[in-house]
Amino acid sequence: MRLAPVPILVLLLIASGCTLTPFESDTPKGTGTHTQTPPAPGSGPIITSVPEVSPTAPGAEPGSVVAPTPLPRERPRTPPATLSPASKALVGQAQTQRKKGDLPGATASLERALRIEPNNPLLWIEMGRLRMDQHNYPQAEAMGRKALSMSVGDNRTQSQAWLLISDSLNARGKNPQAQEALAKSRELSQF
Amino acid sequence: MAKSKRSARTRRSAQKGFAILALLLLVVAVVVVAVLDHRVTKQFEGRRWTLPARVYAQPLELYVGQTLSAAKFTQELSRLGYIAQGPAARPGTYRRKGDRIDLYVRAFHFSDQEQPALQLRVVFDGDAITELTDTQGTDVPVIRLDPLLIGSIFPIHGEDRIVVSPDQVPPLLPAALKAVEDRKFDTHHGVDPLAILRALLTNVRAGQVEQGGSTLTQQLVKSYFLDSRRTLGRKAEEAIMAVILESRFEKADIMNAYINEIYLGQDGRRAVHGFGLASQFYFGKPLSECALHEIALLVTIVRGPSYYDPRRHPERTLERRNLVLKLLAERGVVKPEEAERAMKKPLGVTDNAGRSANYFPAFLDLVRRQLREDYPEEALTEAGLTVFSTLDPLLQEKAEDALSEELDRQEKSGRKSAKGLEGTMVVTTPQTGEVIAIVGGKRASFDGFNRALDMQRPIGSLAKPLVYLAAFESGRYTPASIVDDAPVELKLPNGQVWKPGNYDKKLRGPVPLVRALTQSLNLATVNLGMAVGLDKVAKTYVQLGLDEAPPAYPSMLLGAANLSPIQVAQMYNTLANGGFRSPLRAVRAVIDEHGKPLKAPELEVSQAAPAEAIYALDRVLIEVFERGTGKPARRSLPPTLVVAGKTGTSNDYRDSWFAGFSGGHLIVVWMGHDDNSPTGLTGTTGALPAWAKLMSSISTTSFEPLMPEEMEDRWIDYFSGKETSPYCNGSAVSLPFTYGAVLEPSETCPPGISPEEAALFAPPAEGTVGPDGAPLPSPIPPTQP
Repeated sequence: MRLAPVPILVLLLIASGCTLTPFESDTPKGTGTHTQTPPAPGSGPIITSVPEVSPTAPGAEPGSVVAPTPLPRERPRTPPATLSPASKALVGQAQTQRKKGDLPGATASLERALRIEPNNPLLWIEMGRLRMDQHNYPQAEAMGRKALSMSVGDNRTQSQAWLLISDSLNARGKNPQAQEALAKSRELSQF
Repeated sequence: MAKSKRSARTRRSAQKGFAILALLLLVVAVVVVAVLDHRVTKQFEGRRWTLPARVYAQPLELYVGQTLSAAKFTQELSRLGYIAQGPAARPGTYRRKGDRIDLYVRAFHFSDQEQPALQLRVVFDGDAITELTDTQGTDVPVIRLDPLLIGSIFPIHGEDRIVVSPDQVPPLLPAALKAVEDRKFDTHHGVDPLAILRALLTNVRAGQVEQGGSTLTQQLVKSYFLDSRRTLGRKAEEAIMAVILESRFEKADIMNAYINEIYLGQDGRRAVHGFGLASQFYFGKPLSECALHEIALLVTIVRGPSYYDPRRHPERTLERRNLVLKLLAERGVVKPEEAERAMKKPLGVTDNAGRSANYFPAFLDLVRRQLREDYPEEALTEAGLTVFSTLDPLLQEKAEDALSEELDRQEKSGRKSAKGLEGTMVVTTPQTGEVIAIVGGKRASFDGFNRALDMQRPIGSLAKPLVYLAAFESGRYTPASIVDDAPVELKLPNGQVWKPGNYDKKLRGPVPLVRALTQSLNLATVNLGMAVGLDKVAKTYVQLGLDEAPPAYPSMLLGAANLSPIQVAQMYNTLANGGFRSPLRAVRAVIDEHGKPLKAPELEVSQAAPAEAIYALDRVLIEVFERGTGKPARRSLPPTLVVAGKTGTSNDYRDSWFAGFSGGHLIVVWMGHDDNSPTGLTGTTGALPAWAKLMSSISTTSFEPLMPEEMEDRWIDYFSGKETSPYCNGSAVSLPFTYGAVLEPSETCPPGISPEEAALFAPPAEGTVGPDGAPLPSPIPPTQP
């Protein structure tokens, strides 16, 4: 009974002469008059150019996922990440401590910065570099991956993160993967 | 003759016997003295008080841009025992002028550096620090305040102390001790016979023990070497040891030992020893900052820590303190005017009757457990370690308030099942995996059963996100995939048939995953979990951070697994941290008594699940607040704050859970009865309002994870899962899909429809509160600002 309005709506729709053209997509920007629109968190910058999407492939089950075909689409690039003055000071302090071989001190300084800016990928890369010094290579890679996840669209930072991952793979003798990561780092540094 | 001979012989042998006896006695005395001497010297020379590990809260970081108002900052300063005084010319003082605060930060030995005392100027603009400089006006990029001491890990016999060195002792203290307790301290040899005689006379006259004739040295000996029995033998032993001590050691050493050794109060199981800890215990600040009236109070307490307990017997303690002040003036230690002024001051002890001001037993318990993994018990209770913990005192206090207010509100509802309701809360910062607050129960300072750590309860629908994570991870499902919310019967290994139902007994038929999870539909979830595979779902528990997977029974899909709140926090922390698992930490660093860093749990991250699966799940959990069981909390949260989470209710309303997060904080709340009786509460009506109350009272950020590279947002219809237009009334929801995901277009309101056409659709009639929400959820009262 709750669905009762639907046939009426369909009738209304037909009466209004609405053409059912699927995928003539116009990217929804903002909320318009639509008040219930969720804030679309995490979507980051609004995608401005939306290329064609192939219509439903015949036989494909709706709602299922087809193999992610390489699409000629570019997510908008974001400016490279930077450090706040407080983080910058703490990173500087950590680097001095690292040079002196005071790794616990450097860890403490970087963790302070991370508490101030937990979403700054540069700090996670810095932390990963410290883990390299401590010969904790799996953690160095994990920190690199964390930095990647927080720098989508920021080529410069991603390039640094891949370089860290490559180094950590290298240190563990995983040379082919290290080469792959290095190639990614180089490719991203070109932008 | 023979008789006299015999008697002479007898006399001679008696003399001989006497001589032998005397010799023997002498030998015994020499041996006793030698033994005592050995004991006193050895023990006192290599003296090490058993020093319980001291635990500090996290320090407050000051930097430009930090969210903090001048008012909140002064609150924090007074919690740390800073006083508003004059031009802030000595450590531990500050001066506020409107939005500007000048302060003198105390020196502190952090795990990574020794920060000297320093003068700062902090300028605020509303809720933020806009300027941070030293006295020369040079910018200071970032600086820590000395952290709050929150407790110590003392041994079973309960002796706790903070050792102070002579340079940390205000000179007034030894002077006052001498003037009041032992006037001849500087000249006597350990005992003061005249004083003993005087005391004896006074006591005989009074008919009871009123005055002790013990020197400070004797008091020290008694406390340091002997038990508290009062026999004549003990007295003699004490006197001998005092003389030995005096002959072997300097007066200054003895005074310093006295200041660190003596008993000065009781805090539950904990015995407060030494003036260093007493100053923290009574005034919440270091001994070096004590003023005359405070020192006089400490000297008063020495005389009888329970008789002159300033919290329990303020009147007679004040009277005695003023007597001490008068005595100090009479004996020339202070000027009469100074004593007069000090007498007008109140006792000045921090409130919190019988408890030290900052007592967080549930959190300390976690610290102790984490330390025990790396350190033997003796190292913690005796070796003088300093532990830097992750506790955020301000947030802890807010969490305690939010929980107790909500529990009170439930009790006042008059429902029988709400009587004696208990609760617990765990708060973490997801990115660094730090536990920053734990509330163990309604009475947060009650040191008893630690519900947050030890209570294991069925998690109800908190288990559902794990089913959906397994589904997304399989690559066969998206948030728009359809699952059947239809009856299901499953044969269990024990031969029984399990027939779960929906909360409201309704069946919704085919629904998209986004709706099934946000409205917490039981049957849809069971059907999905069975299709994905129980083993795959069980595995996600380990991926998210549990040590072992729960038994892979179908009932697991609806949260039959018994978990503790801290375990729930561990799993949800991984969801809040973009799928990166970080073992929860309560300890940041540990240093030994010389400041050398020791082993402590490290910050670790590891990717727990593919980024796309976690991201899709997190986005659906945000929708819980827009359309699902979390919606009733929306109105009490700041309108722009994006949060995500899930309700949980166990069978017969025995457990009410909510686990949810913003960008900066994860909060897990449980409410229920200790005897496991029904509460009549769902996750929405019990735990959620407490969660929202805390979340809206803290400074936090929106949950805005970055979308993984290979994904894009598309609009789908919440009820059908078909692709639609954002203009379609109320039912369109934006969710992430991997590029090229095939979505069926909506027939009624297709993706390309214009706003005008879309406006013709009526909003959906379906209610938005699902199984975990009560049919008519009680309104959440507006939270206090």
